[in-house]
Formats: sequence, C-alpha cells, structure tokens
Amino acid sequence: MKKIIAAVGIVVGLCGAGVVSAAEPGQIARGQEKFDYWCATCHAGDPREGGRYLPGTASLNAKYKGERPGALADRTDLLPPYIKLVIRRGMEAMPFFRKTEISDAEMDDIAAYLARNTKQP
Amino acid sequence: MPIKLPPGTSASTHASAVKEMQRVVGADWVFTSEEDLDTYRDAYSIRWGHDDEYLASAAVAPTSVEEVQAIVRIANKYKIPIYPISTGKNLTYGGSAPTYSGSIVLDLKRMNRVLEVDEKRAFALVEPGCSYFDLYRYVKDKGLKVWIDCPDPGWGSPIGNALDHGVGYTASQFRDHWGAHCGMEVVTPTGEIMRTGMGALPNAKTWQEYKYGVGPHVDGLFAQSNFGIVTKMGFWLMPQPEAWLTGTVNVPKYSDFIPLVEHCNYLEDAMIATGQAIYSSGLGGPQNAAEVQALMANRYPTLPELDAYAEKKGVPAWRVKLQFYGPPEVIQARWEYAQERISKAIPGTTFTNFEALPMPLTEAQEKTHHLVNFGIPNMAIFASMARQPGDADPKDGHTDFFAVCPRTGEAVFKALKLVYDTQTELGVPITASPFRGPVTWHHKVFFMGAPAVDSQRNDPAFNRRMRTLYDAYVKKFSDAGFPPYRTNPGAQDLLAAQFSFNNNVLLKFQEALKDGIDPNGILAPGRYGVWPKRLRTKRA
Repeated sequence: MKKIIAAVGIVVGLCGAGVVSAAEPGQIARGQEKFDYWCATCHAGDPREGGRYLPGTASLNAKYKGERPGALADRTDLLPPYIKLVIRRGMEAMPFFRKTEISDAEMDDIAAYLARNTKQP
Repeated sequence: MPIKLPPGTSASTHASAVKEMQRVVGADWVFTSEEDLDTYRDAYSIRWGHDDEYLASAAVAPTSVEEVQAIVRIANKYKIPIYPISTGKNLTYGGSAPTYSGSIVLDLKRMNRVLEVDEKRAFALVEPGCSYFDLYRYVKDKGLKVWIDCPDPGWGSPIGNALDHGVGYTASQFRDHWGAHCGMEVVTPTGEIMRTGMGALPNAKTWQEYKYGVGPHVDGLFAQSNFGIVTKMGFWLMPQPEAWLTGTVNVPKYSDFIPLVEHCNYLEDAMIATGQAIYSSGLGGPQNAAEVQALMANRYPTLPELDAYAEKKGVPAWRVKLQFYGPPEVIQARWEYAQERISKAIPGTTFTNFEALPMPLTEAQEKTHHLVNFGIPNMAIFASMARQPGDADPKDGHTDFFAVCPRTGEAVFKALKLVYDTQTELGVPITASPFRGPVTWHHKVFFMGAPAVDSQRNDPAFNRRMRTLYDAYVKKFSDAGFPPYRTNPGAQDLLAAQFSFNNNVLLKFQEALKDGIDPNGILAPGRYGVWPKRLRTKRA
C-alpha cells in the first residue's frame, strides 16, 4: 500500500498543465466497454444505500465521505498510472488482475476512460 | 517477491521448459517477470509475506485443449510441476497461486467460451475460463429461459467452483455445484484427452444429461484434487420459474430452533420449499454485540439460559426465510402448508415478510433483492469486507471457514460452542455468538461458519496469528465430526490428515491412484493433501 501511495505521489508530481487525458474517443469507448465488463460490478454508480451492493463504490464512499464520488466513472481526479497500478497491485479487499484477465492494452483503455475528465490538479 | 524455482529444478532446466512453452502459446502468454508473477500470488493468503507463501515460478496461458496437452507434455519432459487455475478468483481458498511453490501456473482464463446452452433440455457446457458473469450474459443475450446457480462472487468459474465443491443459492438440486455438473473433458497428467460419463461414447447424445456412462464413475477424482485438467464441463440448469414466493417464520424460544430445523428439513426434502432457507436470529447482530459479549463473559451460556435471555428480550429467538419457486398457485399453496405445519408444532410462531413476484425480476426489483437467489451473479458480498464508514484500517482479505454439520438444531448449538471453545483456548478475542445461524448452501447438510479469519498484506505477524486460529478451527471442528468443506492451501494437508479412518487408507488409496495416473508427479502436487511419490516428503 505504501508503494502505491509513493507511486501516486510521483505521478502527481509529473503531471503537466491542462486536461490529462489525450485519449482518442475510440480508446475511451473501448475503455468504457472494458470498465463495464470488468470493473462496474464493483465500481459502478448506484444511489442505493450509498452503493452498499457495489463493494468498490461502498468502500470509496466510506473513504471519501462525500468529498469525492464513490463511483469511479464520476471522478475527475484519476490519473492513468494510478489506475493501472491499482489494477495490477490491488487495493485492500480488491485483488490484483492478471494480464490474462485485463491485458496491458485493455488496461490502457480503461485508464483512458476513467481519466477522461481529469484536469490538472 | 523473488522468483522461486521448483525445488530440485535447475535454472537452465526451468528456462528450457519455459522456452518450449513459449513456442506453444507465444512469448506474450508465458509470464516470468517478478511484476507479472506478483499477480499470481493469492491476494487473500494468510501466508502473505511469510517464507512459506505459495509462489509460482512462471505462468502459461493456453487458448485450446491442444495447447494444454502440449504444456503437460513439456512439464513431464522436464518434471516441472504445473498448477491449473480457471478464472483464478478462488479467493480465500488459494486465489491464483499454486499449492506447491515453484510450480508453473497453467492459467486457463483465455479458454473462456460458453460452448452450448440447451434451453429445452436445461444444460450448459462451458470452458474453465468462462465466469458466472459470462454464462449469465450469454443466457440473457440469447433470451433463454433458464437460470444458472452462482456463488456470491460472480467472477468465479462454474468449472473451478464446482471442482472445489462450491455452492450457491437457488433450488436444492442446483445449489451443490458439483452435484449439478454432468460430464467433463479432462487432459490427463500424461497429456491425453479423456471424456467422462457418456462423453466416452464417440456418438454420445446425452453427455450433459446422464452422468454415469458405464463402469466406474471417475468424475470425483477431478474435484479438490490433482488427477487431471478439466477443459470442458457440463452443468444442469434450472428452468426459469413462473414465480417466486418468500415468507419468514419466527419462533420465540431459543430451543425452538430444534423443531424448526426438523420442519424446514421436511419441507425441503419433500420438495415443498426448495429455495434456500435462510436462518438468522433477532438476538444477534452488531446492535446486540455488547449484550451478547456479556452473556458469554464467564462461560458459554446453557440452553435454559439462552431461552431465558430470549424471553427477556421479547423478540423471536430464531427466524427462517423460506423461498419457493414455481407456478404462483402452487407455491402459494406450499407456503400455506408450511405455515400450517410449523404453527401447529411450535407455539408462538409468527409469519412475516411475505412477498410473491412473477419471474424474472424487473430491473427495479433487481435493485432490492438478493440477486443470487435468482441466479443473477454479482459482487455484493465483497461489500461486507470492504471499508466501512469509520473503518480506518480495512482488512485486505480473509479465509473462510465453513464446517459441514448435520442438519439438526443440536449440531448447530454444538458448532456455535466450538467457535467459543476454540477462541477461549487460544486466548484470542471472543467473536463467537450463540446467535449465528447455519448456512444452507447445500441441501443435505448445514455449513457452520466461524467468524472470518482476516488477512493483511502489510502485516505478516497478524497473518501468523490468523494461521494459528484457522488451523485450530480445522482441528477442533474435525475432532467433533464437523470438518470444513474446503480450505485454503495452507491447511489442506492438515484437513486431509483428519480423514484418517483405518490408518489413513483413503489417502493411501488416493496416492496409489496418483502415482499411476501422474507418474512424474507434475500436476498440482499437494492439492488437498495428495502428493506424488517423488514429493511425498513435502507433506506438512
């Protein structure tokens, strides 16, 4: 976990001005498709009981207490390297994903989708 | 983590095997870097960070049964152990890690096809990398009126789950996933393709409907074991019912649980109420935790004391949610019969929470119902272990302990006390409770859970304590005749050793078969306590 936090620090430090995402629409669409397949079962947006039935959304709601959206697709502060780090290394009860599940190219697409609204911090 | 080679295998031999496997599946689908192999650790392991954590030396991901055969032949040539995984999400029971460090993981995730779903004959045939989500989407996309039966996590593999004796949530005959399988294709440890049951008949017409074929029925050799790599498997499916009905039975006294269980058993065995009966107690839960702790302050309470406590609290001591599937008029009549039968037998019984719905659920109804009772895969169970409000240090995982108990109230009471006794003897904080209901995943036995044994990826000392607790549960419950139905790899030798009737003759028989079927001992050494001859000294 400490490794992940340190890596995020580096990523934020390297980030330039303006909108982070330079992904083309096709990549974002592919990323959304893969997000819906692999991630949405835990991380979708759902108003029911604070996302209680969506473990990822519930966990992030508990963590951020309204300061940031629990649903990943609604976030505007996610950076691709961080997203990819969590996919490959896991986070708390979320296990890591192998390349046979989410390939590097698919992971790039998911990261592009989730970072599509991210602007310079 | 540094890469561990299989003991006795040189780096050059390992490299040669890896090179040959690359020729079979392509270099992109053989993983040897530390970064890639970290994704083949068991994310929920209570051995995480320990010297004896189970680690892979490489991973290889075929896309066809022919590629599986080729990899098996290479493993035999170099006498390198391989360990098959399906979707690799068997979390709490090993995840994607091998049971013997240094093994090459045979990752079958890319073999993920739904080969057939026959709506009229109600069966499916799938590959190991196919998940419950995949099978459900296939059925939905084609508009087929059949239900699958899934466990809590929808990302699991129907094949992998059934092979580990996994269980589910719909009608009696489908909840036991192994029991509902029919026919398999297996790559043997020497690389031959074999089909079981009717599949052995070249012109088979009922491979997914009649399990036995003729002669010895060998399918059981491939569950919780290491006798072959299952590359196809059939499952019986449930026709989509016209309607679903539920009602809750509430009984006042703690000891009323004994007759309540007897009546619910009858309703299920007579196929009157075939849905999952969900037992719980109004006296448990976080809101009562302090009082329950006080009740157990000096010793475990007696039955009269628990009856007196329930009477004082004035809430039903036990409740069971019954579920029925079928035509509306039929299940209404069955529910009425259940009410009449139980109310006559147990004074003070009340009936609440009645609901009846046509099937399938609407989109709105899906948002408010326990989806697995309707054969709809999801991930909601993980919310119970995710970070909770006010939780500063959420756990990274856990390993489940569910003991197989007779379906009686007396056995449940005994199992609840065993949790207390184990925790007391170890001097760990008491999380036992007299108010934990049995789990009815299997229709002929109860599964009694011990409070989750957690894991932390940043705290090896914590994991060490959890290993001690887990092993103590295995021993204590097995001594009482209530062993767990499956276990994490670290306790598989211990659990197998408990099945010791007549000087462990069962394990000796299994290992005699192992030596004949897998002469080089390359397939999943040590899985569920079965070791090949050349590695038998590795038994824990």
